[in-house]
Amino acid sequence: MFISLKRVFKFAWQGFLRNRVLGLEVMFIMAIAVFLITSLFLFQGISDFLIKEVQEKVDVSVYFKETVREEEILSVERNLYKFSNEIESVEYISREKALENFIEKHKDEPIYLEALQEIGYNPFLPSLNIKARDPSYYAPISNYLNQDSLQGIIERVSFFQNKKVIDKLSSITANVKTVVISLSLILGLLAVLITFNTIKLTIFTSKEEISTMQLVGASNWFIRGPFVIQGIFYGIISVLAVNLLFLIAFAFFSYRLETFFLGFNLLNYFQMNFLSLLWIQIAFAGILAIFSTLLALHKYLKV
Amino acid sequence: MISFQNVSKIYYSSVNSYPITALKDVSFIVEPKEFVSIVGRSGAGKTTLVKLLIGEERITEGEIFFRNKNIARIKSNELQKIRKKIGVVYQDYRLLFSKTVYENVSYILEVMGFSDQDIARDVSRILGIVRLRERAKNFPEELSGGEQQRLVIARALVHQPEIVIADEPTGNLDPYNTFEIINLFKKINESGTTVILATHDKRIIDGLAKRVITLEAGRLIRDEQGGKFIL
Repeated sequence: MFISLKRVFKFAWQGFLRNRVLGLEVMFIMAIAVFLITSLFLFQGISDFLIKEVQEKVDVSVYFKETVREEEILSVERNLYKFSNEIESVEYISREKALENFIEKHKDEPIYLEALQEIGYNPFLPSLNIKARDPSYYAPISNYLNQDSLQGIIERVSFFQNKKVIDKLSSITANVKTVVISLSLILGLLAVLITFNTIKLTIFTSKEEISTMQLVGASNWFIRGPFVIQGIFYGIISVLAVNLLFLIAFAFFSYRLETFFLGFNLLNYFQMNFLSLLWIQIAFAGILAIFSTLLALHKYLKV
Repeated sequence: MISFQNVSKIYYSSVNSYPITALKDVSFIVEPKEFVSIVGRSGAGKTTLVKLLIGEERITEGEIFFRNKNIARIKSNELQKIRKKIGVVYQDYRLLFSKTVYENVSYILEVMGFSDQDIARDVSRILGIVRLRERAKNFPEELSGGEQQRLVIARALVHQPEIVIADEPTGNLDPYNTFEIINLFKKINESGTTVILATHDKRIIDGLAKRVITLEAGRLIRDEQGGKFIL
């Protein structure tokens, strides 16, 4: 068994070295298929990051009336912590702190500071800034804040003003994601079909030899083995070539693209997820090579 | 050892499905260690007979037995086992063009699981016999027609099969090489190997003085010991 396996690998290696032109064609086509799968993986990462970014921008700010005492606000804060499963954090921002934040934020923009001086008093309201563990939790939190007993002390809740914009953004992101995934799947399917046909063509050129191998008594697996392993070699090289290409591209363009993707660093993401990506790529290329080879060989292995 | 019982083979034209009878009701028995020549004009059915014997083609009617095993009805893995016991010299060579001379000959031994040392020894020996040792690293397309034919013979003999079937094995050889190859077949037959030789070369048949089966238009018309080439 071991000796046969060794020979199957030897024949595969010989075939790999001797069919360079056909091999290059197969590897090129497989590389396109792997490229599409990798792009899909990266897009998934980018869109998840962007959605998370948008979601993180979502918070509920509860502005209290100017006259409300700090104890009352802190009592609302304590009550909010009862939603421990839904709420990630609650931050109390006093009027003084809000003013301080505003001055810090606009220290280089004198027009804002001049306008503040013009008013002559602190116009900011005390507030509670609430972050939920998931955007879907904002609804029950808002319901709590909308209860009648709190209406006397609450000036406004900002969530409802942001909600439309956030919903719109989420909807656009989801739609773009659907379109890109559908396109990638169609292109991926095309690449799979082209790969299959290219492998079929390379095996077609060997059909006379396959027939001779059968006539000298070689078993089907002894004939199939080298072709399958050769296909896996092609797959592995395609995966390595695609990764090298992405690595070089990211090394040059990742910094520029970071601004475009709201701070998402493609090179970091690629490096951090390299092992899982590599598994996906190898599994994809391997299954594609094995499946295509076996299917193409099936026709010629009928004794 | 080999028994043909009322074997017929009909091909159907791929153009109009018109039936073409290649063999009609052929029956004969080949005993172990026999040397049998099958003669006939081109198209008489010699190559079809060889193809049926190694299971490359399916018979239309009748039965073929190899050591009491019905070739038409055995499973593919059984057929592969039988093929390993047969050495075939194909009229159209059937060489592995992606492999070197050495690899063409060693392939059957690798299929049979011989050790690397045994393979090196046996391949070198047989390549020496057919005078191709110097060409061991060449690919078949780099060989002349005669060298390719000698390579096919080397491949058929290297694993010392129980039976050798040679379909026009000297068609591309000069008289000197023809004489040597036929002598080689005689020698391996004397050592106990069954030889079936399909040819239309009168000089070979008359010189052998062995059993001759004569085919004409797919029918067996003569089967005689020490026969001559008569058409």
